[in-house]
Amino acid sequence: MEKILQVKDLELSFNTQAGEVKAIRGVNFDLYKGETLAIVGESGSGKSVTTKSIMRLLPESSAEFKNGEILFGGRDLTKLSDKEMQKIRGKEISMIFQDPMTSLNPTMPIGRQLTEPLLKHQKISKNEAKKVAIDLLRLVGMPKPELRMKQYPHQFSGGQRQRIVIAISLACNPKILIADEPTTALDVTIQAQILELMKDLQKKIDTSIIFITHDLGVVANVADRVAVMYGGKIVEIGTVDEIFYNPQHPYTWGLLSSMPSLDTEDAKLYAIPGTPPDLLDPPKGDAFALRSEYALSIDMEQNPPFFKVSDTHSAATWLLHPDAPQVEPPVTVIERMKKFPGSRYYEGGAV
Amino acid sequence: MAEKLLEIKNLKQYFNIGKANEVRAVDDISFDIYKGETLGLVGESGCGKSTTGRSIIRLYDATDGDVYYEGENVHGKKSKQDLKKFNRKMQMIFQDPYASLNQRMKVMDIIAEGIDIHGLAKNQTERKKMVYDLLETVGLNKEHANRYPHEFSGGQRQRLGIARALAVDPDFIIADEPISALDVSIQAQVVNLLKELQEEKGLTFLFIAHDLSMVKYISDRIGVMYFGKLVELAPAEELYNNPLHPYTQSLLSAIPLPDPNYERNRVRKSYDPAVHDYNKADDVRMREISPGHFVQCSEREFESIKASSLTK
Repeated sequence: MEKILQVKDLELSFNTQAGEVKAIRGVNFDLYKGETLAIVGESGSGKSVTTKSIMRLLPESSAEFKNGEILFGGRDLTKLSDKEMQKIRGKEISMIFQDPMTSLNPTMPIGRQLTEPLLKHQKISKNEAKKVAIDLLRLVGMPKPELRMKQYPHQFSGGQRQRIVIAISLACNPKILIADEPTTALDVTIQAQILELMKDLQKKIDTSIIFITHDLGVVANVADRVAVMYGGKIVEIGTVDEIFYNPQHPYTWGLLSSMPSLDTEDAKLYAIPGTPPDLLDPPKGDAFALRSEYALSIDMEQNPPFFKVSDTHSAATWLLHPDAPQVEPPVTVIERMKKFPGSRYYEGGAV
Repeated sequence: MAEKLLEIKNLKQYFNIGKANEVRAVDDISFDIYKGETLGLVGESGCGKSTTGRSIIRLYDATDGDVYYEGENVHGKKSKQDLKKFNRKMQMIFQDPYASLNQRMKVMDIIAEGIDIHGLAKNQTERKKMVYDLLETVGLNKEHANRYPHEFSGGQRQRLGIARALAVDPDFIIADEPISALDVSIQAQVVNLLKELQEEKGLTFLFIAHDLSMVKYISDRIGVMYFGKLVELAPAEELYNNPLHPYTQSLLSAIPLPDPNYERNRVRKSYDPAVHDYNKADDVRMREISPGHFVQCSEREFESIKASSLTK
């Protein structure tokens, strides 16, 4: 498959009054054409910072690239000037944010906000741009698009606003769409509609999506591949089936067990103890070790490298080292593994 | 089931009454809450679930209807003394642990505020001890008493909110989206804490939320609200296995679960209020389909639901 974007050894820090916050500590991933890659993790894990660094949306006064590169179309995005970046942003790579109210301009009719990227990036007349904008609104399922063009953001509901934001982000047929928690602020029924819309549009225009969320249900719904982030690093990456049915990293185990499924019985919910690491002073070794009951003594000393589980699946945990002791994952995770051919708990039957 | 702790009867909460923009946030709902149970209240934003909680605890003056607490009317005219008594028994935990704690007060004073108002501590030493004990109960420690809210993480602040609610030794707690603002791993910690406290102290909860899988996990019974009305009320297990109102069915079919296979096959149902095709003569109200399972329906719908459940 064609690689659209490659992030290599990315390290980024924020210089704050309290000191250097190492927000991204060596992130590697590829994005393929037409796929949806979900990045999951809790607040502070570095998932939003990673994507904002791709878009170069971080304040240059405090954010500093320490190492690594972001390759897109043969160019390293970390090295581009602001002017060059402006030609990519909104045209080749665009972004949808969590809160559709704050990402739309409340004093501008939505028609103008829709034509803005078209006039900026494409050589077309105002009238043509208007036509394209109306088509876009129709594409995202907005009834009466001609009338709606003249209205202001406050005249739309939350779900409709997010549809408009999606329309704007797709205006120039971007190669990559970054969606940062696009449905977190929406009700479940509206969320379901927006997710369906995004999947539908992705097929139509063949864009690649990076989808950031902390909701594992949403991940299971939209993702082709999943990257799990913790403490500024990716700790596990694989196809959606591999992450949900054959997870290897104790943090992924914790995440999957701490969400009640609809058939979780009265048993106590598994809670990951403690809080995420302080990236001002990141722990030596595996950042998750202090919260993990599966931590080995080497975890306190040395950061685990990535171990390959399959061609598409790898995880950064010493538990996968050939010399590591065999451990028993949490019960809920074993239940999941029973469905996965190739895991040691597989009980037969197709996934 | 056990005895009733609260009876909510025909509760109505309208805003902008008589004006063009009148909002019927809560429109004639009735339900009971039993001692020691957790009643979950779910629905989309704007359906009136939070307003219901706030009206019960008298943060709003209800437009109409009654709330009986152990047989006594909460919403009738009350002397200050009587009100104080109710306020002690009912407490609330809010969604946003950042906005609901006074940034200028130390944790000690935030938690002790209720203790002071109700005169529960005889002297300073006792007051201190009570706060320390509360902090321990919610999984923090006494060193935290001298800090300010901004020094805590989101999960810890929600623990402070819980400690504050527990300070006056209430019987009934309204938790309005207490975990929505928290990370997944922290949500589980807080939910486990609430469950433990319930077992220890025999608390009764009204748990308001929109995250349906968490609601199912924590609740004994669940009420579903739509546009100010309660449309279905049933034991948690029953509601998920056998949803009868089309809105409940649509809501349940929209929840994404952390299971890719399930997601590939999930079929979403949408809800259109027009399916009911009610006319003016229809007597639309809550009817009991099976013991404890209530659905809002007309006589006609009631008969057809009954008939189809018999054939199952």
